Amino acid sequence: MTTDAPARPTAEQTPEAAATARKYSNLGLGRLYLRRFQRNRLGVVGVVIFVLLVLFAAFGGRFTSYAYTDADFTALTQPPSSLHWFGTNQGGNDIYACAVHGLQRSLVIAVSVSALTIVLAAIIGTGAAYFGGRVERVTLAVIHFLLIVPSFLILALVSHRLAGDWRVLIIVLTVFGWMSTARVIWSVSTSLRERDYVKAAEFMGVGPLRIIFRHIIPNLGSLLIVNLTLGVVATVLSETALSFLGFGVQTPDVSLGTMLADGASTVTSAPWLFAFPAGLVVLLTVSMTFIGDGLRDALDPTSVTGSAGGRR
Amino acid sequence: MVRYVTRKALGWLSMIVVATNATYFLASWFLDPRSNFKELRPVRSEAQIDRALAPYNLDPGVPLVHRWWDWLTSVALRFDWGKSPTGVSVNGEVGYRALVSAELVVIATVLSVVLGVALGVYTAARQYGWADRVSQAVSIVVFNIPASVAALAVVFVAIWLNQHAGLHFLYVAGENSPGVEGLLPTIGDRLLHLILPTLTLTLMGYVGYHLTQRSLLLDTLHADFVRTAQATGLTRSQAIRRHALRAALIPTAASVAFSVPAVFTGAVITETIFGWNGMGRYFIQTISKNDVHGAVATAAFAAALTAIGAILADIATVFLDPRVRVS
Amino acid sequence: MTLTIPLPAPVPPTDAVPVLSVRDLRISFPSEAGTVAAVRGVSFDLLPGRTLCIVGESGSGKSATAMGIMGLLPPTADLRGKVLLGGQDLIGLDDRALSKIRGNSIGMVFQDPLSALTPIFSVGRLLSDALRVHQDLTKRAAWEQAVQLLDLVGIPDPRGRAAAFPHEFSGGMRQRVVIAMAIANRPSVLVADEPTTALDVTVQAQILDVLRLAQQETGAGLVLITHDLGVVAGHADDVAVMYAGRFVEHAGVEELFRRPTMPYTARLLAAVPTVDSGARRPLVPIGGEPPALAGLPDGCPFAPRCAVALDACRSDEPELRHVTGHGHVACLRAAEIADGSLDPTGDAACVGRPTPSRRAEAGEVVLRVEDLVKTFPVTKGALLKRRIGTLHAVNRVGFELRAGETLGLVGESGSGKTTTLLEILRLRRPEGGRIEISGTDVATVASGARARELRQDVQIVMQDPLGALDPRMPVFHLLAEPLRAIGRDRESIRARVHELLTLVGLDDSVADRFPAALSGGQRQRIGIARALATEPKLLALDEPLSALDVSVQAGVINLLARLKRELGLAYLVVAHDLAVIRYISDRIAVMYLGHIVETGDTEAIFSDPKHPYTRALLSAIPIPDPERERTRERVVLEGEQPNAARMPAGCVFVDRCPLYRLADEELRHRCRTEPPVPTSVAGHPGHRYACHGV
Repeated sequence: MTTDAPARPTAEQTPEAAATARKYSNLGLGRLYLRRFQRNRLGVVGVVIFVLLVLFAAFGGRFTSYAYTDADFTALTQPPSSLHWFGTNQGGNDIYACAVHGLQRSLVIAVSVSALTIVLAAIIGTGAAYFGGRVERVTLAVIHFLLIVPSFLILALVSHRLAGDWRVLIIVLTVFGWMSTARVIWSVSTSLRERDYVKAAEFMGVGPLRIIFRHIIPNLGSLLIVNLTLGVVATVLSETALSFLGFGVQTPDVSLGTMLADGASTVTSAPWLFAFPAGLVVLLTVSMTFIGDGLRDALDPTSVTGSAGGRR
Repeated sequence: MVRYVTRKALGWLSMIVVATNATYFLASWFLDPRSNFKELRPVRSEAQIDRALAPYNLDPGVPLVHRWWDWLTSVALRFDWGKSPTGVSVNGEVGYRALVSAELVVIATVLSVVLGVALGVYTAARQYGWADRVSQAVSIVVFNIPASVAALAVVFVAIWLNQHAGLHFLYVAGENSPGVEGLLPTIGDRLLHLILPTLTLTLMGYVGYHLTQRSLLLDTLHADFVRTAQATGLTRSQAIRRHALRAALIPTAASVAFSVPAVFTGAVITETIFGWNGMGRYFIQTISKNDVHGAVATAAFAAALTAIGAILADIATVFLDPRVRVS
Repeated sequence: MTLTIPLPAPVPPTDAVPVLSVRDLRISFPSEAGTVAAVRGVSFDLLPGRTLCIVGESGSGKSATAMGIMGLLPPTADLRGKVLLGGQDLIGLDDRALSKIRGNSIGMVFQDPLSALTPIFSVGRLLSDALRVHQDLTKRAAWEQAVQLLDLVGIPDPRGRAAAFPHEFSGGMRQRVVIAMAIANRPSVLVADEPTTALDVTVQAQILDVLRLAQQETGAGLVLITHDLGVVAGHADDVAVMYAGRFVEHAGVEELFRRPTMPYTARLLAAVPTVDSGARRPLVPIGGEPPALAGLPDGCPFAPRCAVALDACRSDEPELRHVTGHGHVACLRAAEIADGSLDPTGDAACVGRPTPSRRAEAGEVVLRVEDLVKTFPVTKGALLKRRIGTLHAVNRVGFELRAGETLGLVGESGSGKTTTLLEILRLRRPEGGRIEISGTDVATVASGARARELRQDVQIVMQDPLGALDPRMPVFHLLAEPLRAIGRDRESIRARVHELLTLVGLDDSVADRFPAALSGGQRQRIGIARALATEPKLLALDEPLSALDVSVQAGVINLLARLKRELGLAYLVVAHDLAVIRYISDRIAVMYLGHIVETGDTEAIFSDPKHPYTRALLSAIPIPDPERERTRERVVLEGEQPNAARMPAGCVFVDRCPLYRLADEELRHRCRTEPPVPTSVAGHPGHRYACHGV
């Protein structure tokens, strides 16, 4: 629209005591975001699904007497029954117990990788944008190089040697997963760097680190939150892909990815081995995508950054 | 224009060189060919193992830099990518597989771009219409399905079709049928085998283009110049077609390069599921067999594919954006 | 070429058939805060060859009116009423039918020429496409016509430039292309939405001339939308003043300026600084802010800000009524005001009248700049940046500023005035020359502590108050930030923030609000308060008023004057608006292409400008008085300020200089080869200019 668009905010309050005004303005903002999020039905559905999944991963184990390592030799490759709710696999492991544990494992990996990735990407992206010059050029060259290089191959190489331990997997996925987020953050930060309030802070003598942490990162807030949720999706997908090929979580540990790999070979003869983990993965990623989209609409209706693309 | 593309191509070439050499060092650090011999009976001594590896330039006793230099010179001078720990020539293994995989990745990439961009444009012009909502919902779901699940779903559907609709040309395993003779039948047979893996990869690849192209075009729709075009007497859809679309395609063209690695990753999984003897499966084999040279060759292949994608993207950019031609 | 043609007098009304009739146009948009009624019943007739100026502040609905006429509103907008073009009602037509009319019988010129042209097509292609939409032409014939059109709107070498892309043109040249596109099919109505707002003042004069030429060429009626009362005075035949989505006064240009009858119009004219007033006339701010358009209260929307409002004004909104001998006015007291028995500015005129700041006693020297040089490398290539040239942004600039004094740096964009300001604020050793602040050479300051001290002495107020305040910080933290940066403790910060708010005339309650919840005027006051936090001696003001609405500007100008008087500050002001500069500056330095071409006391420069550029600059500023605006002699410069990467060997102004064109061969040679040295005007040692020809 043109400059004539009625952009004037309407929040003219009568002068009140300072304390109530503060409460009002902060609460008002939070309530506005919540209201906008609630308007997005898919976002609410996503939250419900995600909460159920978390509850399942945390407390699902209490409803079965089997552990994911237990082998029931009386029931090999059995379809779902009242005894084994999700059936059993070739080794007699209870699929329900495995699914609870695998979901737990995948969730922990996904959430921690996504959080670490965001932190790393935010620091690198904003740092490159703020300092500019040579720092920026070198950082960008590294990012582009890592984006172009089939990092999956390197990931496979590295995790093949180090895998087995899911904690190592978290580190490996973080080290090779921050680039595209960092690039998005960098490109948004370059415009923030030119904002007058950043320049004003410089002229007031505010230090560079303080500018990054007080002015640039808070103004990236919605972008970071949205990318956090989308990062969970991306990590789940990479983890399942790696584990599927045998480079991720290793037996006897179980993740959704290893369950998919085990189930894939018998998908026609024993479809439940594949169907349950596949369903959980899709529920997890779809719910996170819905939440991410809802958050984006709620926090920043004009934003088009952080849109989907090149996540796999 | 030719200069622009040549300059870009040279840049990509140097990128391949750097990436390949970096992979060589990584692979040498993380893959240990000696462990292949550990399980062999009778048990061999360290010295025996090293001696067995020495002819293939894999002897851990030789400093890494020396091994790297030997490898580099043999690649640069004779295009010899070395040998596996069991002495099989990498060139022989790669040559045929590279063709198969390149076919898969290139066709899938092209189809993804065409399908994704077309959908993005179609739906952006009908924002919030039913076609937009449905295709967006489908795309979001597809985007969230792991590659392995998607590929198996395709297999399932194909088997079901073969059984119920009486189709017999949807092959779910291998890249060719045994016993097909003659040039034309061979080509036909290979094409039929290509259908399902390509379909799977396209399915996984188009979504990114659909969603980004849609939001790019929606952004451009609100640009001032589209309004100017309307003011000269174009209808809204004409203004979008003639003015907004081309401008909105430029960033997509540039992004193709960054998506090829993802397609290759998808190919690794697809080949595993469809039992294809391509570079993807070869790569998994080389890693599990600690085959340093094979793994590096695969990485070089992937980098080369990326570069091809990038050069195609650059050429597309030149066609779309006349400003590049001028400067 | 130097035009000294005065603008034509207003076209007298004829009884010709109107080309455009708008009846009760209403436009509303849905929004978070409820339905926004952007336009609430606008009606007018436009006769062929005449110009209607719609003037108003941002948010008054003037652009929405233009878009509504063109049928270019977003689909969510609700549009009612009648837009009759040659007897055909455009409202209700579908896109296909409208597209046959747009660009054919009605053309439009947009505000921002930088984004109005499709970047991937050449201007020739854009123009011939615009022609071929409505005319059956071959490509070659359309291209020929496109070249002719480019020639008509004054693009040099039109045949060669037709193949160039928009990004290869300057802003003024692009606006010429936009005008050419608008008149390509000889429309009967032209709509121009703030066509010169994004342009420099000398270019504005050119573009307005081109627009007038285009209007003459096509005989079209022109709807010119602007916020600049000077442009209105020079170019309108009829004027409509818009406020809160309605016309509040609609009259002939002479009647309107002779006796503004709606109190809003009168107050607006009283609040605008002008270049022509001999002595400084006090500015009377209107006070308050324009209303939000969602959920307007009953009554006249101006009533809360009006000095002569009656109780009846607050209950019913007055209709636009004819006032004898004037035009149409929407005010209950219009008759009283029109016959002179009521002063629409009311008592406010006396209350807000500050004593105009007198030339302060020369205090200590706060800032001394000598031979300041700043260059930027011109690079090419994405990966390996090759340096292919040098941009001389600031070239041997020098001046002195004392406490209690205001120096105005004026010039067009690209003249280096903002770069000069930023170089001073950087507090680092300059690339060339010396910067001395309170007697300390900034180049000698190495230690952090001394630098911080120096930093306290120099602060800045930025152009866009919304952009300069971090949207995620409440006012208290915004004001506390500079204090924290110099290491003040919590208690003293709290006390100081309170002091600052009082100083700029704001209530303590704003301390907890976020910038988005403040009005434009309040935000700029916060910006000023923040700059004053560390008790600086020197305040740099970078276009401090240009982002503010006209009715709000006066209040900020008065605040700046009071602060200078009370705190003994030195101001270094950068602005392109010479009227504002004249009002607040003691001395002026005129910059062109990185050089100061003339400097002196404000009144000396305005009454007796020496340098031809200064003269042209002064004459390019429209005066909000139709009689004077249309009879005065104008110097319209040709061309635009060249790129500072190719610096002429002699005088920097030589390419556009009107004196150079008249000069003899010997002088011309000097101008081309020898940079002029600043010389003093006899009897006025402070008034210096750099020109061979004067």
